[in-house]
Amino acid sequence: MAQKKGFPMPLEVEYPKELEGWEEMYPPMYMFSKDRKVWEEKHFWFHDKIHAPEAMYPLDLIFHEAWQISLSQYTTRVFCIPPAQGIAQRMVGCYMYITPVSPPPGEIIQEKAGLFQKRVFYVFDHYDELWGTWLKKFKALGEEMNSIKVPAEFPKFESDDTVLPEPRGYYTSYDVINAWDKLVDLMIKGWQYHFQYLNLAYLAYLMFADICRKLFPGLSESTIGKLVAGAYVQMFRPEEELCRLARLAAAVPAVSKILKNDIPADKKIESLRKTAEGNDWLVEYEKSKDPWFFVSCGSGWFHYEGSWTTKPEIPFGYLKGDIERIEKGEKIERDVPSIDKARAELAEEYRKLIKTDEDRKSFDDTYKAVRTIYKYAEDHLFWVEHWFHTIWFDKVREFGRLLVKSGMLKGVDDIYLFNRFEVPLIMEDMATTWALGEGVPSRFQYWQAKAEKRKKILEAAKKWNPMPGLGTPPEEIAEPFTVMLWGITTEKVQDWLKGMAVVPTEVTELKGFASSAGIVEGRVRVVKLLEEITKIQQGEILVCPTTNPAWAPVFTKIKASITDIGGLTSHAAIVCREYGVPSVTGTGIATSVLKTGDTVKVDGNTGIVKILKRA
Amino acid sequence: MPYTLWFDKAGKEAIGLVGGKNASLGELIKADIPVPPGFSVTTETYGEFLSGGGLKEKIESLLSKIDIQDVSSLENVSKVIRQLMAEATFSKRIEEEISFNYQALAQVVDVPDLPVAVRSSATAEDLPGASFAGQQDTFLWVQGNDEVLEKVKLCMASLFTPRAISYRIKMGFPHEKVLISVGVQKIVDARAAGVMFTLNPTNGDPSKVVIEGNWGLGETVVSGICNPDKFVVDKVTKEIGRTISLKECECIYDPVRGGVAHVDTPPERREIPCIEDQEILELARYAKRVEGYYGCPQDIEWAIDKQKPFPMNIFMVQSRPETIWSQQKKEPVLGKKSAYELLMEKALQRVKISS
Repeated sequence: MAQKKGFPMPLEVEYPKELEGWEEMYPPMYMFSKDRKVWEEKHFWFHDKIHAPEAMYPLDLIFHEAWQISLSQYTTRVFCIPPAQGIAQRMVGCYMYITPVSPPPGEIIQEKAGLFQKRVFYVFDHYDELWGTWLKKFKALGEEMNSIKVPAEFPKFESDDTVLPEPRGYYTSYDVINAWDKLVDLMIKGWQYHFQYLNLAYLAYLMFADICRKLFPGLSESTIGKLVAGAYVQMFRPEEELCRLARLAAAVPAVSKILKNDIPADKKIESLRKTAEGNDWLVEYEKSKDPWFFVSCGSGWFHYEGSWTTKPEIPFGYLKGDIERIEKGEKIERDVPSIDKARAELAEEYRKLIKTDEDRKSFDDTYKAVRTIYKYAEDHLFWVEHWFHTIWFDKVREFGRLLVKSGMLKGVDDIYLFNRFEVPLIMEDMATTWALGEGVPSRFQYWQAKAEKRKKILEAAKKWNPMPGLGTPPEEIAEPFTVMLWGITTEKVQDWLKGMAVVPTEVTELKGFASSAGIVEGRVRVVKLLEEITKIQQGEILVCPTTNPAWAPVFTKIKASITDIGGLTSHAAIVCREYGVPSVTGTGIATSVLKTGDTVKVDGNTGIVKILKRA
Repeated sequence: MPYTLWFDKAGKEAIGLVGGKNASLGELIKADIPVPPGFSVTTETYGEFLSGGGLKEKIESLLSKIDIQDVSSLENVSKVIRQLMAEATFSKRIEEEISFNYQALAQVVDVPDLPVAVRSSATAEDLPGASFAGQQDTFLWVQGNDEVLEKVKLCMASLFTPRAISYRIKMGFPHEKVLISVGVQKIVDARAAGVMFTLNPTNGDPSKVVIEGNWGLGETVVSGICNPDKFVVDKVTKEIGRTISLKECECIYDPVRGGVAHVDTPPERREIPCIEDQEILELARYAKRVEGYYGCPQDIEWAIDKQKPFPMNIFMVQSRPETIWSQQKKEPVLGKKSAYELLMEKALQRVKISS
């Protein structure tokens, strides 16, 4: 096989020996394989640093398995976007790689065009009501997941009421196996819903971007993003709820005093319970908590991130800061109406520059369409990746506790070391062992040994820096999701090719997307793992694989952000612009080139980061 | 009949007296745009200059001898006419009035022998010869009464360059109907200068102001002898796109020669931007204002004074309608399509992802 200059072919990747055995953690269809070699080598595979920047725990792969199917089917089989196909995934040494599948034959494109026209325009015309029914359906799904009962333990004997007066007929063994199956089933279903309108939202965005560039050939991506971005986005609700609670607390000294204390969150709640005012405030807190504090501390894609409900120190920490700012007379809320007004004014100013009435009409028409449907891209995020995933993680943890209690695994989170097809085996082993009676051994030693081995592999994988791409570098990339969400363009791939030959210490300048305007200089904080986010100091420049809207309160602390991956409409870019934090996204190599303590100049107008001084 | 008119006293209504360029300076002043002070030597002056001493008759007879098939006859006649004009003298009254104004200008800014730019300002629109490369109708760094008078005369003579003459013959304009005015304007001792367009001339984008600039006087940018820095400013968001060129030469005042000269730019300044961000934004703001005032895209010359502090250091020295994009018919670029038609178009676009 003739190898083209640059990226290795998938089967030629060399792994550090510490990673030996990584393949068995993931389902077989996730492996690059000789039997699919010809097809695989024709495609270009890139590391998905947006959704899977870190070494993948086998059970966390479930979200990806679900989106691979769902995203792809809406493009290929449901709304039938004519020339586009799905996005395929593979695992490479614990990291996920994806590729946009090459276009279908011409006759399929024609067939899809007819279906597309019929189905898609209907959705645009009825979007507002469709969003209402979607949300209702999705909330019901989450409630259903939340209502799954996971037995806390296997009983020594089933209780009387399950036997008399009429035996229930199925018992804890079934409950456990069934509860797991149902949990997985609902997660897969939730992700089927996730893409219900998302592909259309992105397509509409790209169409609007196209017409903007026809009218104003030099209009920047970040401006197009600003024109489309909504101010009333559900992802901001958790923060808005915090502001509401902070205001309530600030008005009652007895409450604010407790919340400002430097004591753990549970102690604060305990103290609040002792007074009537405190209890009143707690009632409001509970109201906000479900659903709004079911927000992940990270992206929502990793079990170890936790949420504001599992890590109450985070919302309570923010509350303390907010109350103190209120007392100083500062404004803590985002000024939503004026953000929305600024967007409307921006649109009006460009509109005035359009030369003909016909073009103005096309612009108005398109702008209205994109503003209608793009809300979906912004609003689904909270409900799926945050609220729904938080419920999932809570439930999985209940299973984790049961497995520990039954002696199958050592740690609660060890369940995440097994993929979703393996977990039922452990469940069945556990249930069978219980059913067989006393003195019967399970294969716990086998499972625990596997868990230990996998922990070591994942640790080694975290230290391994995987290559950005594999396979045949494309001449051109135009697939909507690839460009929009991952920020992978033809130029980007060329840069990666250049970057592979680069020695990190010799780099003096990085180039990325000018995602949010402004120029600042400052000290860098590299955050590769999401839990390190708490280390960020006031006025530092955040450098990470990808930024995340759930970190919103951090954006008031940092001076600028630099990411490896992310287009101008990636979840993060919007937030950076709104907080007025300069941002350069999609540099490809920021986290491997920069070190905490380096001094850099970030130019969010040009997308250039200059390294001024090495730490 | 005025021999001279101050810029701020003569806008587009006085175009017959002061010519297009000078009238546009008057308009800029009305629009509150900072323009270096100066005055026009009117077409009346030109008329009187020609009538005095029988210059007019001599020129007419010379022009009638041109054989348009014969390039050398055109060039000979042109040369003789311009020689005649250079050697003729202004009447005492004209000389006095121009000198008086020049002195007044020098006094206003309190600089004796104030350096000025002397430029022709034609009344007939779009004489291509007037600014044809190599044919001088602009004199920079003119100092003192005598030199001002001499350069005013030479500017008037630029109406008889071979190209200007042949253009009029070809277009059937009677020579005697074309008049010329001359502007005498305080020169901006520029740290940097250049031109700007109120749309992007490369793609017609109406949401951009494109600024080109170099160190020193704007002459190097206008004549295109050096690669200027280029800044593309979004009119709405004020985002700035920058292309910093290697700027090897600049046009500055050379005290030894007593005039302007092209010199090598010192190495330390070659690769740094010639204007700062705040100056870029201020220029763009003026560009928008000028375009708004005229109601059509403009092509503007600007200069940034060496000595004055920001923002008083910024001046516009010329503005004229942009010609390339403005002449195109205003056709809709989106083909009168609805959102759904455009969406269908986008959805059908070829997707190419692997080689």
